[in-house]
Amino acid sequence: MLPQFDYIRPGSLDEAVARGAGDGAVLHSGGTDLLGCLRDGVFTADTVVAIGHLAELRGIEETRDGGLRIGALSTLSEIAAHPLIAERYTVLSLGAGSAASPQLRNQGTIGGNICQRPRCWYFRGDFHCLRKGGSMCYAVAGANQYHCIFGGDRCYIVHPSDTAPALVALGARARIIGPSGTRVVPLESFFVLPAQNVRRETILEPGELVAEVLLPPPGVGLRSTYRKVRARGAWDFALAGAAAALTFSDGRVNGGRLVLSGVAPIPWRAAEAERVLIDNPLDAETIRRAVEACVADARPMPHNGYKVDLVRGVVAETLRSLA
Amino acid sequence: MKHYLPDPDQIPGEAQPQELPPWGETRVVGRSLSRVDGYELVSGTAVYTLDLTLPDMLHAVIVRCPHAHARVVRVETSRAEAMPGVRAVLTASTPGAEIPWYFGDDGPTSRLFDSHCRYAGEEVAAVAAETVHQAWDAARAIEVEYEVLPFVIDEAEALEADAPAVHEGGNLTEQREFARGDVEAAFAEADVVLGGTFRTPCELHAPLETFVSVARWDGDRLTVWDSTQGVFARQQELARYFRLPLTSVRVICPYVGGGFGAKLSTGKYTVIAALAARMTARPVKLAVTREDSFLSEGNRPANTIRLKAAAMRDGTLTALEGEFLGSVGAYPSGAVSPYLLLALYDCANARAATTEVYTNAGRARAFRAPAFPPCAWALEQTIDALAEEIGMDPVEFRLKNLATVLQLRDDLPYTSIGLRECIIEGAREFGWESARSRPQQDGHLRRGVGMAAGMWAYPGEPRATVFVKLFADGSVNLNMGASDIGTGTKTVMAMVVAEELGVPLEQIQIEHADTGTTQYAPASGGSQTVVVSSPAVRAAAVDVKGQLLEIAAAELERPAEGLVLRDGQVVPIDDEGAAVPLAELRGLRQRQNIVGVGRRHPHPEGKIALPFCAQFADVEVNTLTGEVRVARLLAAHDSGRVMSYLTYENQVFGGMAMGIGFGLTEDRVLDSQTGKMVNHNWHDYKIPTAKDVPLEQTCVPIDPHDTECNTTGAKGLGEPAHIPTAAAIANAVYHATGVRVHDAPITAMQMVRLLAETRGD
Ligand SMILES: Cc1cc2nc3c(=O)[nH]c(=O)nc-3n(C[C@H](O)[C@H](O)[C@H](O)COP(=O)(O)OP(=O)(O)OC[C@H]3O[C@@H](n4cnc5c(N)ncnc54)[C@H](O)[C@@H]3O)c2cc1C
Repeated sequence: MLPQFDYIRPGSLDEAVARGAGDGAVLHSGGTDLLGCLRDGVFTADTVVAIGHLAELRGIEETRDGGLRIGALSTLSEIAAHPLIAERYTVLSLGAGSAASPQLRNQGTIGGNICQRPRCWYFRGDFHCLRKGGSMCYAVAGANQYHCIFGGDRCYIVHPSDTAPALVALGARARIIGPSGTRVVPLESFFVLPAQNVRRETILEPGELVAEVLLPPPGVGLRSTYRKVRARGAWDFALAGAAAALTFSDGRVNGGRLVLSGVAPIPWRAAEAERVLIDNPLDAETIRRAVEACVADARPMPHNGYKVDLVRGVVAETLRSLA
Repeated sequence: MKHYLPDPDQIPGEAQPQELPPWGETRVVGRSLSRVDGYELVSGTAVYTLDLTLPDMLHAVIVRCPHAHARVVRVETSRAEAMPGVRAVLTASTPGAEIPWYFGDDGPTSRLFDSHCRYAGEEVAAVAAETVHQAWDAARAIEVEYEVLPFVIDEAEALEADAPAVHEGGNLTEQREFARGDVEAAFAEADVVLGGTFRTPCELHAPLETFVSVARWDGDRLTVWDSTQGVFARQQELARYFRLPLTSVRVICPYVGGGFGAKLSTGKYTVIAALAARMTARPVKLAVTREDSFLSEGNRPANTIRLKAAAMRDGTLTALEGEFLGSVGAYPSGAVSPYLLLALYDCANARAATTEVYTNAGRARAFRAPAFPPCAWALEQTIDALAEEIGMDPVEFRLKNLATVLQLRDDLPYTSIGLRECIIEGAREFGWESARSRPQQDGHLRRGVGMAAGMWAYPGEPRATVFVKLFADGSVNLNMGASDIGTGTKTVMAMVVAEELGVPLEQIQIEHADTGTTQYAPASGGSQTVVVSSPAVRAAAVDVKGQLLEIAAAELERPAEGLVLRDGQVVPIDDEGAAVPLAELRGLRQRQNIVGVGRRHPHPEGKIALPFCAQFADVEVNTLTGEVRVARLLAAHDSGRVMSYLTYENQVFGGMAMGIGFGLTEDRVLDSQTGKMVNHNWHDYKIPTAKDVPLEQTCVPIDPHDTECNTTGAKGLGEPAHIPTAAAIANAVYHATGVRVHDAPITAMQMVRLLAETRGD
């Protein structure tokens, strides 16, 4: 059952920012993640500040530089079905379309999707864990089959989003509005590792909200795709996934990114694998080396060693599909 | 079934054996007709217990122990009692709440609120308030001080000498042994001996309608609306808990949103609702949340099964041996069964040993074919492996070793056994031979096919009384005690009435599952509902028919034998033009209605009626990621007569979908550090979705025309439909990849590792 809280619908973006900066305030877009957290007692809120009605945060349109502006309130369904996104930024279309279930995608927004809280079952459950201000991470010695193999440090969550890896792969930026103004931040720098701060997942300060996501113009020869492996066919997060956005010229990879989902506390750039790919044709040998480069730094926990194999498999399949 | 349903052999016999002749050609029974309550179900107008609101109704919620094992030291309720809307707070010391609690027939083993909490989720206190939100707020304000105790959640560890005792007297609940022939000698002489240790997951019940009761007292009389599989069983238990005569307890169950076995026995929530209603003199509703129901309202326990089997090169199965270990959870229940191992195949030498233990986890309940899918998982994979080892096709190997009598019960004969036809016809329809030799495509996707056989053990509790009432206008009221747990019971029974009385289904109104107004029927579980109630319905309809034809014969001045009932008319066989609508029979109008009474006849002497099945799976395995996709399933079932084609198919497809969950996705996870469940919600506990179930599913009914089992010729279907699915999938995965997966479920997590190990990565 939901706890008691005040619910306000600010009349403007400015008011939303001001109210959102208040003590104990949380933002509410589609509410698909927020309400679950409140109901399960993951955190509490004194004030829920609705932003779902603010027109400034809506819309998907081309920008003057040939890129795309995606308002933070765009739903995952809208993004998945948008013809321009499907054509030019396939990885994002697939990422959004593979999240959750149709109902959740109709209600859930991209802003909420990249700001959603982790799905670790200790964090979500009745365990006072480190991320909730407790003194231990239960996953270390517990049921850690769904936890991270990269980037863990005292806390071993995986980042739950399927759109975030795509956005990082595409070099997207977020326009953030807050009490002290606006800033534009590459998505790659938007997420926070436990080593930096074990209590939060993004760089957002109190009162800051994501207003829009900005995609650069698609690179020449861009091919992109997202492949996600999950425990069941729908309504499920990634066990591991690969978002690839690579540009090709003369049959060789000449740029782009490879980002893994489901294996690290943030969308995980496989930088070493990217280096392997650059200047090489996407043939069996390159793919084999890239796959190994992806897992070279993996540090599996007692019950998630399979993720190393899974990353190998999902990256191999993803790269083959772009070849 | 010992812990869940009465043993039919212990029910005092009745003298009257079955009298009605078997049906010949049927006109209604067996057809594909829409459900009689289909409109209510899909339009949302059906009022389930969860939907029920009574005037002045309060809402109750339960405070549960958050520790796997603890002792309640103190419960502080004063803050909660003072909160707005709170009308009652119940704890162990509340007058009237000192109720001893029974799990099964073995005497009380707990109390309604037991101060010794044996699993995380155990009931400690409850609140009733004007709104459900007020009740939750107050529940959160109750402070409970616990002495936290060491716990044990692992079955094997529970048996160790220094394991924490879940109950005084130790954790071993039961050990049993079964043996026939000389297993040692058979192993020594066999050409091939193999085996392995198999493990199946703990599955949670997840009926769409959660566990819910609404209780109301009128003076000393208690009425409970309950989402239950059996109103009469519930009535008896409530009468015991409240020390009331049966007539003072009325249990009503309008619709049930699924139960799968978990709604057979009485939950504490029902008694808490009734107690709170008595304390407040108001109706009380208690709906258990999904999360709480996963903790405490039932599960199919994990099984560890060590199996060993032997065969001769000619394909004769010569020995079977199994050791079974499972946990009933914190309170008495069942966990394992070697029945399939000892009954499915003709095998002269067989031995089984079972061990069941207590652990600090939610109590097991009956779960669609209790203990059979785990046994099928182990047995049918072992049979598959044996067939390969001696170089025989698994279909052929099974056909060579089919049992024809029930060896488990002194070679008791079956009234019918269609297992051979299930395997042969199933294989033919499935295209077994060509699929088995299908070449693999290049690339990382591998296809494979596998099959598994099964049978179910419960013949039903042969007692039920049904009334059928014909009104003066020719419309009919069917009054029966059985709950329709979503399987289509009402539709099937209406079709039986229509068959005998020749009235259209729309003219039949059904009253059911109400101990106040309907007659005894056993609980809808154990695949017995059609088996037990349809002969009683038929008998009641035939009783009406006899009386009606007598009236008609007198009026039409023709012998009753020359008259049939059809399309709401009495039709002379040799003069159809002289047909008379029922509403025009003077004698019927004079009496206003004709009431027929039908009773279930006893089971046949010296024989047993059981259903059989074979299922076939076609899978695709992604060898890079370990994902398993079920491409195709086929089920051939001998469940006797197909009473209603669509509901038959529903059961088969539903059973297989659940089998996909058992085989591929579902697994309760308890945290080893705290003993608490970490995946008690819809998202983390992985029920398969529509995307996990293949579009291509085929149902192949095999009807052995059993005239001895009962007067409708039907055998059980609900449970067999679920028994072999996972094993068939596992065999298909093996065929596709060469990887024998011993532990269910076959998740990508497990499969990708096994594939890597096989490759030597
Ligand atoms: C059962 C289930 C399965 C799911 N499966 C997947 C999956 O497979 N893949 C996947 O990617 N996601 C999955 N999700 C998550 C889902 O996609 C997100 O819940 C959804 O996208 C969040 O959007 P929302 O608008 O509802 O966010 P809300 O619930 O409104 O907000 C989520 C969080 O973000 C904050 N927030 C919202 N909008 C903004 C903003 N503009 N700026 C700053 N902060 C903001 C809120 O304060 C809150 O903390 C699943 C969710 C559920 C419940």
